[in-house]
Amino acid sequence: MGDLAQGYRRVAGARISGVVACVPPRKVTNEHFVPAFGEAGVAEVTKVVGVLERRWTDASQTTADLCFLAAERLLGQLQWDRASVSALIFVSQTPDYRLPATACELQARLGLGSACAAFDINLGCSGYTYGLWLAMTLAAQASNGRVLLLVGDTISKTVDPNDRATATVFGDAGSATAIEADANAPAAHFVFGSDGNGSRRLIIPEGCSRVDTELPESFGQRDRQKLFMDGPEIFNFTLRVVPQCVQEVCFKSGRTPDEIALFLFHQANAFMLRHLAKKMKLDPAKVPLNIERFGNVSSASIPLLIVTSAAERIRSESLPVLMAGFGVGFSWCSAVVEFSQPRVVELID
Amino acid sequence: MDKFLEGMAEILEISPLDVTPELDLTQQAWDSLAVVSAIALIDECFGVTVDGAALAKCESVKQVQDLVSAKIGK
Repeated sequence: MGDLAQGYRRVAGARISGVVACVPPRKVTNEHFVPAFGEAGVAEVTKVVGVLERRWTDASQTTADLCFLAAERLLGQLQWDRASVSALIFVSQTPDYRLPATACELQARLGLGSACAAFDINLGCSGYTYGLWLAMTLAAQASNGRVLLLVGDTISKTVDPNDRATATVFGDAGSATAIEADANAPAAHFVFGSDGNGSRRLIIPEGCSRVDTELPESFGQRDRQKLFMDGPEIFNFTLRVVPQCVQEVCFKSGRTPDEIALFLFHQANAFMLRHLAKKMKLDPAKVPLNIERFGNVSSASIPLLIVTSAAERIRSESLPVLMAGFGVGFSWCSAVVEFSQPRVVELID
Repeated sequence: MDKFLEGMAEILEISPLDVTPELDLTQQAWDSLAVVSAIALIDECFGVTVDGAALAKCESVKQVQDLVSAKIGK
């Protein structure tokens, strides 16, 4: 495949006022996987993927519940009048139901007004940056625009416990981000794209409508109702796309990589992220990782990074931050957003 | 190829002295994690990406080197 074209959007007139992420209390350490994969099998994954522990929900807690807790905390801290929220966007690949949209139920649970637009977006790894683009665009449309962006996943519910490539890698998390209109906010920059030719490299093939999906050879004899991930092909995809879309969004924002304070990457795999950072010649101190504590939490990885590894700096200084989500779809979106000391930056642990 | 062979030794967790073109990968821990690491190594050493499935099918270091050469030659 040749160079992938990159789409660009600039959004002016909105800012991020707060971010809260929520992880479930149950810690699952690597010991848990020794009976299934052996000491050596687990050590290998630790060495490459870099996950030491992750948080898993129990059967009664869903992505919507994690996002609800995060949103309650965020709305309370910001003291937003609930009727003032003009839109609620729920980004997830693990909604509560096939229908209705989880966002509708969350509108009622959170006590938001009936004039609130509420809808779901089905994206994973790239979902947070896509959601930010949309939320900032919507918020900027009215002088009193307020948007609640709820992003999260509970991928632990979708993995086959006997598939080492997925069972050991993923964790669960939810998040809530408050975005509001601000005529003085610096513009945010987004570069995104899609390549559906990679759709079957990261997929749960059955459980919705299509039943006869043709799958790559690497799928083997797996359970078609569980998550399948073709690690090597996804790695190749990220090598092709991520350096390009990071470079492009820097350029469009009028900054050099040296002028970016933090690079917040979707936490897919520690080895891969270190390789990408080296390839792009980024200062490793500007590329925080938290995958060792939380695993790959899909769409929630960037907001979780904001409230953990990056929290201190984001709370105390105004910073140009580059965020990049990439993966399932294939889909990707990088963003340069100026964080102006949001009032709330918290983790519910 | 030196840096590449050293990298392969690290991935397979064997002595660099044992990494020769003839090394039989079917007798090594040449699994999907090793393949991911090798993709990164090849990208770093030669600036090209190789197909994961083709790499996984390589039975010797020589076959990996041929795959890289074919890609560089393109």
